[in-house]
Amino acid sequence: MPKPPESADLLETIIGVAPGSALSQLRAQRPDIVGHTQGSHDVLLSPADPGGLSLTERALVAARVAELSGHAGLTRHYRRLLAERGGPPHDQRQDTILRHVERVTTALGTALPAHIEALRAAGMSARDIVALTQIVAFVSYQVRAAVGLALLAEGNAV
Amino acid sequence: MNTRRFTLEAVDWAPWLPPVTLESATPAQRAALDNSPQANSAYFRTLANDVDSLAERSPLFHAVMYVPRGLKRAERELATVVVSIINGCVYCSSVHARRFVELTKQPEIIRALYEQGVDTPLEPRLRAIVDYAAKLTREPAAMTVADLAPLRAVGMDDLEIHDLTNAVAMFANANRLMQTLGEPVLPEGDA
Repeated sequence: MPKPPESADLLETIIGVAPGSALSQLRAQRPDIVGHTQGSHDVLLSPADPGGLSLTERALVAARVAELSGHAGLTRHYRRLLAERGGPPHDQRQDTILRHVERVTTALGTALPAHIEALRAAGMSARDIVALTQIVAFVSYQVRAAVGLALLAEGNAV
Repeated sequence: MNTRRFTLEAVDWAPWLPPVTLESATPAQRAALDNSPQANSAYFRTLANDVDSLAERSPLFHAVMYVPRGLKRAERELATVVVSIINGCVYCSSVHARRFVELTKQPEIIRALYEQGVDTPLEPRLRAIVDYAAKLTREPAAMTVADLAPLRAVGMDDLEIHDLTNAVAMFANANRLMQTLGEPVLPEGDA
């Protein structure tokens, strides 16, 4: 399946923002936010060197965060990416990763050093654990940015 | 939520993973750290373990919090304090509550939020900002266009609402990194 062009802006695609629309022009007043939001997505989901957190695992994590956050459009996007990468691996490590992802997404105040040790025991390096956490944190950001932009688009369409 | 732990004093942060040291940092890690708010903090040195994501996140954070025009800086700081209280991030709330007080000289607003929670009585513009920040943090999927009405009623334009949304979203991000890769270290006698 062909990949979308790297220059596409994912948030505008997900929300359905037309080029040249009022919302597109509003976002253009904040070019660093637009650029580094897309840039964060690209380096977290499709890094040139994924290290010890595979491209499949990265898509799996992002899909789960979007789903737990209740965002249909981003859930579809990340599930499609996961399918393109061969689907979930269904191994024991996947369960360890998903338990961690669910905690960081919905119960972040309950995190403990022992949870980091469990990821270490599953073979993850410091870099892999930081990348995993960055993906959860990024999609949590992206969901809320997408929701707010969609409200502005909807409010202006009346 | 243990509101007594929130403070206007400076809080330290202890990582649960080994941070990159400035002596051992690669040129790319050093560049990403130099573009972060504090190159030598344990937090940013921990994030430098995955250098490419830090190199994107630091300029994103800077743009969300400090880009000129639009929502006033103090109001962005207030929104991030509200998100951090709801998520329980003692470190983030301390840093950004102190920035809010530096800008506004109104520590009583922070004390009311800390002691009485985010539903404490506030003047209408701050009430609208706090309510939007709280709902977008807790229930992003339940937001509707009606949630913009209180912001419009106090005179906020699209750019201000856009900036508020991004400040709230950025702290959904910051709190998750800060609270799950390490822990706050409170000042002596304040634990």
